[in-house]
Amino acid sequence: MLSFIGRSVVQKTITLFFVSIVSFLIIHLAPGKPSQVDPLNPKFTPEIMERFQKEFHLDKPLYVQYIYFYQDLFTGKTVSWKDNQSVLKKIWERFLNSLPLFVVGTLITWTLSFPVGIRSAIFRGGIYDRSATFISYVLISIPGFFFAYVLIILVVTYFHVPVIGMETFGIGDAPATYLFMDRIWHLLLPSLLSATGGIAVLSRYVRSQMLEVEGQDYIRTARAKGLPPEQVHYKHALRNAMLPFVTMFGLILPGLIGGSVIIESIFSWPGMGRMAYEAILARDYPIILTVNFVSAVLVLAGTFISDLLYLVVDPRIRL
Amino acid sequence: MTVRRVLIFAPILLILVLLQSYFWVPTYEQQTKGNSARLAEYIAGSIGDASLLNPILSADSASSSINDMVFEGLIDRDEQLRFRGRLAKSWEIFEDAFFYVNPSARIPGLGKADAHTLADFIKHAQKTTRIKDPALKDSLNRITDISVLPPRTFTVSKSFKDSNTGKEKTMIIQVAAPPRIKLVLNTVDQDLFQNLIHLLGKDYFESFHGKDYLKSDSQLSKEQWAAYTRELIPPFEHNPILLFHLRPGVKFHDGHLMGADDVRFTYEAIMNPKNLSPRISDYEPVKTVEVIDPLTVKIVYKRLYSPAIGTWSMGILPEHLLDSHALKKEAIRLGKDPKTFSIRQSTFNRHPVGCGPFKFQNWKSDQYIILDRFDDYWEGPPNYQRYVFRIIPDLLTQEMEFYAGTIDSYGVQPHQVKRLEKDPRFQNFSGVAFGYTYIGYNTRRKPFDDPRVRRALGMAIDVEKIIKYVLYGQGERITGPFVKQTDYYNHAIKPLVYDPNGALKLLEAAGWKRNKAGRLEKNGKPFKFTLITNSGNDLRKAVLAIAQDAWKQIGIDVYTDLLEWSVFIQERVNKADFDALILGWQMGIDPDLYQIWHSSQTNPYQLNFVGYKNKEADGLIIKIRQEYNHNRQIEFSHRLHEIIAGEQPYTFLYVDKWTAVLDKRIVIKTVDDTGAIQYEKITPTKTGNYSFYFNKWIKLPQVPSFMDKG
Repeated sequence: MLSFIGRSVVQKTITLFFVSIVSFLIIHLAPGKPSQVDPLNPKFTPEIMERFQKEFHLDKPLYVQYIYFYQDLFTGKTVSWKDNQSVLKKIWERFLNSLPLFVVGTLITWTLSFPVGIRSAIFRGGIYDRSATFISYVLISIPGFFFAYVLIILVVTYFHVPVIGMETFGIGDAPATYLFMDRIWHLLLPSLLSATGGIAVLSRYVRSQMLEVEGQDYIRTARAKGLPPEQVHYKHALRNAMLPFVTMFGLILPGLIGGSVIIESIFSWPGMGRMAYEAILARDYPIILTVNFVSAVLVLAGTFISDLLYLVVDPRIRL
Repeated sequence: MTVRRVLIFAPILLILVLLQSYFWVPTYEQQTKGNSARLAEYIAGSIGDASLLNPILSADSASSSINDMVFEGLIDRDEQLRFRGRLAKSWEIFEDAFFYVNPSARIPGLGKADAHTLADFIKHAQKTTRIKDPALKDSLNRITDISVLPPRTFTVSKSFKDSNTGKEKTMIIQVAAPPRIKLVLNTVDQDLFQNLIHLLGKDYFESFHGKDYLKSDSQLSKEQWAAYTRELIPPFEHNPILLFHLRPGVKFHDGHLMGADDVRFTYEAIMNPKNLSPRISDYEPVKTVEVIDPLTVKIVYKRLYSPAIGTWSMGILPEHLLDSHALKKEAIRLGKDPKTFSIRQSTFNRHPVGCGPFKFQNWKSDQYIILDRFDDYWEGPPNYQRYVFRIIPDLLTQEMEFYAGTIDSYGVQPHQVKRLEKDPRFQNFSGVAFGYTYIGYNTRRKPFDDPRVRRALGMAIDVEKIIKYVLYGQGERITGPFVKQTDYYNHAIKPLVYDPNGALKLLEAAGWKRNKAGRLEKNGKPFKFTLITNSGNDLRKAVLAIAQDAWKQIGIDVYTDLLEWSVFIQERVNKADFDALILGWQMGIDPDLYQIWHSSQTNPYQLNFVGYKNKEADGLIIKIRQEYNHNRQIEFSHRLHEIIAGEQPYTFLYVDKWTAVLDKRIVIKTVDDTGAIQYEKITPTKTGNYSFYFNKWIKLPQVPSFMDKG
């Protein structure tokens, strides 16, 4: 066990190192310059561009830039090229904004998918199962932004309440409960929308896992013993069907930082995804690279956690 | 079974908790109708967030729109686009001109002369009636004072790159300058020295050998010597001077009085290399900024450069909050190194203090920026109590919020205006924008070096149809490089008429004939080329397809290509590697076209990428940027417009229109001397600026009935 942890930490550090090099190279190889060094602005003379490049170390060879960048990152000195704000501070603020969206979205996905999927599996081939399948495919194939627009227009025209942003604009000094509930309301639509795709996929997944397990010999044995069907489904089958999902839990960790560009843009949510997207458009390298690096760390941490979880829930596995 | 119950109840409970929050949320009704404070707020929707709230550092439009509210410049433009005083009450423009005494030149009727004789000679010439040349007389009449500056010696050190080794070298040059004559003129006169030739002899300035007065130990090439000579002792020199008289009693938002020192400080902050200001090139021609007294600033320029006047619309920074002392204190407070700490790092950029009509309150990144009205504003406070800049990155969401009444304006698109036109709740505006779209031809390449071919290509395209169908009518034709609503634009020039047969005739004159297959060819070579533009701009993409089709119809093989913006710019535009391209320019009001049209700007990475060269145009471009008289500038630019339109290096397509929608209840409110309140409808100014009187806007509970203006 300990040796596994040690080995995997070493492996993941090496991977991380290569990820940092590759992402750095990709960004610098991609065409385009940081917006502050826009070559088609008549106001920017070559001398100014040169000075900007010097300031951002863009005139140095790539490996020197690489060292500069990661040195700054680990000492917490990286600043955004767009507004000179500390990158870590910016990311932290946005992370806190994206976090509730992520948590509620994940809660909805995971709590809804299981009952839907299990019921489909138990009554396989019935009307319920077929319509659930149909709806799932509809949800998967229709893009999220379309739903978002339809939902916004419906809610705004029929309920006359604001849905944009993290809170009602200009709510000001309302009592704390109102403020809290207002925030929850603003969470509802975007998190529901970011959950739809997840519910569709995950419930399908739950269904097929359940079906697979229900076909196993030990389920037949349990039935033959005369156990009530409820106990067979929810105790014997479900527990075994859950195994793969435990590992999936570790893998949703990177979603924490990714955010959702489309949902956040439509709902004016000041989250991570929007910030990263705008940074890419403005070629704000420090932000892009830091987000990239942090998400790489989270992906690696996620796989590590899921390995460990597997170890815990399935005693048959030895690493 | 508990597992089953949990599985069913958990999601139901979660959804219920989320849904019940609906009952706590204020409806749009409550937000917009129920409170009177909303009427005193103006909420503008924007797609992007601001980056730096500091006028000397910001380069994006979102930041500028906030900076314009918080900061105020010395001057700006009025309804007619003329300059008007803001922080400056008035200003004067005159010049000091200098020339070196040329000891070897023979002056007609005087012979060789020393400085004092020469000065007396010019003084005498001013009084005499013998001079017949009206231009010279005019120039002489402008001179108000003539003085002699004694000879002086000085040394300068110059660093340059050695062409052989590529290393930085420093050299010392000793200059022993001869005496100089200083002329003070009451207006700027760019023709002064050309006219003085008639008095002092044709080659008085030409035969002045500046190099004789320079000495150095270093080895230099001829060109380098020539360059240093021109820089260190030019035969003559114009020093235009701008004298600003500031408005007394103007306050910054923190109550501090604004004065001449703040103007000087703003200039120095821009020029300070540590601050990396993108506006540094605007102020490069400035020689000195002198504070004469707390309300007078004198700005002396190194050379004639009239666009420089417009740069003083730059917002003035408060010196007491940003000088080296304040920055040092802030650096220490933030735990940063005071040596490298500059205005760029200062928290001022997120908490600006200026002397504009609105003062900064609060900024939540990617959510909103709130400004409150500044009650001590020198022109009287605005009607609105609060200005809010809301960031909503999605256009459709913006429209929804606009309908709901939680934003007052947004970047409305032409097709959205069509939807809103008939709605009685809204008023809409549109006007000509400050930019145009064009097809540029690489005039270095055949057959685009022939103006007849370029004209024929332009005639083959039906621009009217493009405007009608691609732009939904939200565009106008344009014939030349100036902003259409300024005086510089020559309205006498008619746009090219759509005439494919005429185009074919012109092409025939240029040697291109149709072969049996109907394709154009010259000496057996078919007419074919590639038209490119950047991807991601649907309008340009549509124009691309229309132009391709139009040219195919007269027998030209046109290939098209869409390139990602940065590839397009770096690989094709900057390297001038294209046949023809579709692009647009955003124009300033100033008629200076040097960077885009002067023949010296045709090298790689410069903006005259079509390679347009014309001697007369070059002369006019220089004259325009050296001229301080508005009427003469108009005269020159009309001629320049004519030349460019005649040669058609671009096919000028259209200038698009901006559109805006507002609630009808927003009106202009004025209070006259007797205290009577008057409401007026918002109407765009002649030049198409609908928000020109923004400080007088207010939202009313109901649409008022307007008095007819007779």
